[in-house]
Amino acid sequence: MKYRNELVREALAAEYALGTLQGCARRRFERSLRDDPALRRYVAHWQERLAPLDAAVAPVQPPARVWRAIERRVTAAPRGWAALWDSLGFWRAAAFGALAATLILAASLGVLQSERVELMVVVMSDERAEPKMTVSWEADGRGDKRLRIRVLGHAEMPPDTAWELWMLPGGDGKPLSLGLITTHETQSVPVPRELATAINAAWGLAMSVEPKGGSPTGLPTGPVLYKGQCTRL
Amino acid sequence: MPDDDPIAAIMARCALRDAQAFAQLYRHTAGKLYAVALRILRREDWAEEVLQESFVNIWNHVGEYSAQRSAPMTWMTAIVRNRALDWLRRPRQEHGSEDYDLLVETLADDAPGPEQALQSERAARALAECLKRLPSNQRQSIALAYAHGLSHGELARHLRQPLGTVKTWIRRGLEKLKSCLDDH
Repeated sequence: MKYRNELVREALAAEYALGTLQGCARRRFERSLRDDPALRRYVAHWQERLAPLDAAVAPVQPPARVWRAIERRVTAAPRGWAALWDSLGFWRAAAFGALAATLILAASLGVLQSERVELMVVVMSDERAEPKMTVSWEADGRGDKRLRIRVLGHAEMPPDTAWELWMLPGGDGKPLSLGLITTHETQSVPVPRELATAINAAWGLAMSVEPKGGSPTGLPTGPVLYKGQCTRL
Repeated sequence: MPDDDPIAAIMARCALRDAQAFAQLYRHTAGKLYAVALRILRREDWAEEVLQESFVNIWNHVGEYSAQRSAPMTWMTAIVRNRALDWLRRPRQEHGSEDYDLLVETLADDAPGPEQALQSERAARALAECLKRLPSNQRQSIALAYAHGLSHGELARHLRQPLGTVKTWIRRGLEKLKSCLDDH
C-alpha cells in the first residue's frame, strides 16, 4: 500500500520509530519500507532524532550465556579472502569510505603480502552511494594488464546502448576510455596498452551509458551511472 | 562524522566477517542494548532472547549498514527495539511488571549520557531542550512510548486518558519535536 501524502508518510515514520505504530499498521508499514528508500530515510532520521533517549539508560551486563549462544549461531559463516571478495557485504563495507579502505587494507595485508601482489581496487557506486560494481587489477603486474570486473546485483542495459568504462586521471585530466564492458556478473577486460602505467595513478573510474559501439566523441556523452575512487591495497 | 565513531570501525571489520571484531562489538554495545531491551520487555529471559536474536541479525546484516544513513549505535538500537516490540506484541503473551520507572525526569535532565563518544552530545542536548518545551502530557507520552514500547492503548490505560486524547498528544508532540529539532 502506498502512503501518498508526504506529511502522512513522515508522521507514520515518526510513530514507527517511536514504537506506537503497531499491529497490522506496523507490518504494512514495514512492507512499504522494503522498496521505498525515501520512507526509510524518514525512519532513519526519526531514529536518529530519538536516539538520545537511549543515552540515559544505564548499561546492564547480560549473562555470559547470551554471548555463548550468539557465538554458536554465527561461527558457521564463510571465511577467507576468496569468500570476502565474493561477499556483497564486503563491498558495501568498502563503500564506507576512506576509513573502511584503511581497514580493508589492514585486514587484507596479511593475505596480499604473502601473495606479493599489490592490488588496485575501485568500488563503483550509483548516485545513492550504493555499491554497484567493483573493478580490480594488479598494480605492478608485468605484461598484459587486465581489469577484473564484478557487477553486483542484476543490472540491465537498454537495447542499442553500451556501457563504457572510463579512467579518471584526476585533477584537470579528461576521462580516458578503457573500453566497453557488459552486464555480466564477472568479466575481465584488457587495459589499453597506453594506459597500463597511468591507470595505477588514476583518481578513479566511471561508467557511462553510450550509444551502441561506444562514445562517438572519445569522451563520455551519456549519463554516468557508476563512479568510484581507486584504492591501493 | 560517523567515520570518527570507533563502533563504525569495528562494524566495518565485522562486515569483513571478522569474528574477533564481532566479539569486540558485543563487548562494547551489549550492555547498552540489553538495557534497552530490558526497559521495553521488563523481563530478563525475554530481553536475553531478544538480545541474542538481535546480534545474530546484526552479524548477518552488518554489510548492509550504511554510515551515511545513521550512526552505528542508532542502527543497532533500532534492530533491538524492533525485535523487542515484535516480541512484546506476540499474541498470548502475559505481560511483565507494569511498573515503569519515571524516566521522564531523567529525560529532561541536561546532563549528557555516559557515552558522549557514541551519541552526539549536541543532538542529546537539543532533544532534551525540545522535549522540555513540550506540554508535560505530550512529553510523558512520548517518553513512555519510546522507552517502554507502550502502544496507544497501553498509554491510555496507564495515563488514565481516552485513547483519542493520547493519540493526539503523541501526534502533536512529535510534530512539535520535529519543528523544534529542525530549528536547532
